[in-house]
Amino acid sequence: MSTGVGELTDQLEAVGYLADRGLATAAYVALTLGRPLLLEGEVGVGKTEVAKALTTVLDRRLIRLQCYEGIDVHQALYEWDYARQMLQIRALGDEELHASETVPSLYGPEFLLERPLLAAVRAGSSAVLLIDEVDRADDEFEAFLLELLSDFQVSIPEIGTVRAESPPLVVLTSNRTRELHDALKRRCLYHWVGYPEAERELQIVLTRAPGIAAELGRKVVAAVNRLRDLDLAKPPGVAETIDWVRTIDVLGSNDLDAGIAADTLGAVIKDRDDLDIVVPALERVVAGH
Amino acid sequence: MPATDQAARTGSDLVARLAGFARALREAGLVVGTGDLLTYGEATALLNPTDLVDLYWAGRTTLVTRRDQLPVYDEVFRQYYLDQPAPPGEPEPWSVKQRSDATATLQLPDPERGPEGTPDDEQEARMGLMASTAGTMRHRAFGDCSPAELAAIRQLMRRMRLVPPRRRSRRQRHSRRGTTPDMRRIVRRTMRHHGDPTELAWTRRKPRTRRLILILDVSGSMADYSRALLQFAHGTLRSSRKVEVFCFGTRLTRITHQLEKRRPDEALRAAGERVVDWEGGTRIGESIDTFVKVWGRRGISRGAIVVICSDGLERGAAETLDAAMQKLARLSHRIVWLNPHKGDQGDTWVPSSLGMMVAAPYVDEMLPGHDLASLEELAAVLPRLR
Repeated sequence: MSTGVGELTDQLEAVGYLADRGLATAAYVALTLGRPLLLEGEVGVGKTEVAKALTTVLDRRLIRLQCYEGIDVHQALYEWDYARQMLQIRALGDEELHASETVPSLYGPEFLLERPLLAAVRAGSSAVLLIDEVDRADDEFEAFLLELLSDFQVSIPEIGTVRAESPPLVVLTSNRTRELHDALKRRCLYHWVGYPEAERELQIVLTRAPGIAAELGRKVVAAVNRLRDLDLAKPPGVAETIDWVRTIDVLGSNDLDAGIAADTLGAVIKDRDDLDIVVPALERVVAGH
Repeated sequence: MPATDQAARTGSDLVARLAGFARALREAGLVVGTGDLLTYGEATALLNPTDLVDLYWAGRTTLVTRRDQLPVYDEVFRQYYLDQPAPPGEPEPWSVKQRSDATATLQLPDPERGPEGTPDDEQEARMGLMASTAGTMRHRAFGDCSPAELAAIRQLMRRMRLVPPRRRSRRQRHSRRGTTPDMRRIVRRTMRHHGDPTELAWTRRKPRTRRLILILDVSGSMADYSRALLQFAHGTLRSSRKVEVFCFGTRLTRITHQLEKRRPDEALRAAGERVVDWEGGTRIGESIDTFVKVWGRRGISRGAIVVICSDGLERGAAETLDAAMQKLARLSHRIVWLNPHKGDQGDTWVPSSLGMMVAAPYVDEMLPGHDLASLEELAAVLPRLR
């Protein structure tokens, strides 16, 4: 293993994120080459957590852009503070109103509302930019992102061009509700985040929910793995495993049996059709035979 | 400086080796550009190229862009770097395999231009045929057509487009009348009038075309009809990215990607090889269930128009179809079912096959889709399915 990858893995582990070899390699390469990192994977496998952990490791600022349908430049990049501009105009005296510098002053930095992408360009390499659930944004926004990610500069007509001296680390996540354009993917390094192996998942659970009996953790992880083997519409992710362990712990139990599992099933199975499959098989899911 | 020479030689050997790997991936059907190769090289240089695991992950993060390419990557990696063939039982490579027995059943004379290219005069002859017989052709069932007639119909269809209905999106656009004030414009106008807001500007939500999802039965007798519809989809796919195409027989497969590149006939034939198990008949319920689980749940059919083309002759359990259709109806905006048998029997048609009877309550629009006129009807109905 290259030393850089090993170091990054250790650093991530120190802040509570257990990355496997593939993810650590992808993050290391992204960081060193200055390329955006695109993470795809099932829901609840810790895609967003990667960005947060990297932020802590690198001691940078996390700038997060949550994508949604219809997100546009004004919500993602910058917007003028219209209310303040209006007030300013009303407050101006007659001569000031006609002075030539009035209009430029209305489009000065104090009227500019910084949105996440502009903040990230300004912060440069002192930030980690997390573009979360990019698949929820529409095609137009994706095209705009493509431009931004290629040269990290933004031109604001009234002010000029803002450029990042050295680009921030960009992490994009997608739940694959739709396929992203190949052009965007080609700008990025790609990593598919799968479910961790049982042993690693147990470590993750014990790290994330300290104070849990290892035996309980082991049983829950085994049960969740059996759930994933069932033909479910929404197989539980790592986040659900952690939730389940915590729920059982809150109820004061140290063991997982069919009764407790039935009471706490809402923490892992969140779909009615899936419940119909799981409930009859619960004994087998919990006991493993 | 022999040492440097040595290093340079090892370096260029490595580059050649990496380039060879990229070539092998390309041969296996992955798109790998020179830029990607460059990134791959940079990533490998960062890591330890003598470590096989590093070599694996360097390529996987830089050369793969989709999850479904992973099995191909793994396979090519194994062959190229480890010089080992895939063990039996490995997932199928991404590119489509030929299966001669399946091809034979789906084979229709190719009405398109073959890969070797048909002379132009033949093309002209077809156009002539098209002009003279366009009227009669419109009401001829695709199943009864000769290859030449199919070719003519195809020419006619090139001019038709499927236009799915539109919905209001969250995106705003400027409008003369609207619901939300457009502050950006209002402030600009206000400045023109020394700070007096004289005129208001508005935005309204921009309409957006709904996604169209075609789920086509390509088994046995349905192939002719699905093929015609696929031609439609092909044209629509060219003009917008808002079409997804799936084929099924006993299994379901997504052919949108293949359709983007190939000619429709080739895509359909390839799909037929993958999804049709000729002994097993049609499993509509299971295929739709797969669609719902693998694609629908992720949101591909949310707000979309789903067009299913099938005769409803179901071999699987009726309960499966019922449950699957119920879920599909909940996850999508409207469901249109094209059943060619409806066309054969005219207006007196009632759903008679068990599959059709089970599915009927969930279907918003039942159309024949057996000839050109009925496809025109589909094209006319679609924009109205708001």
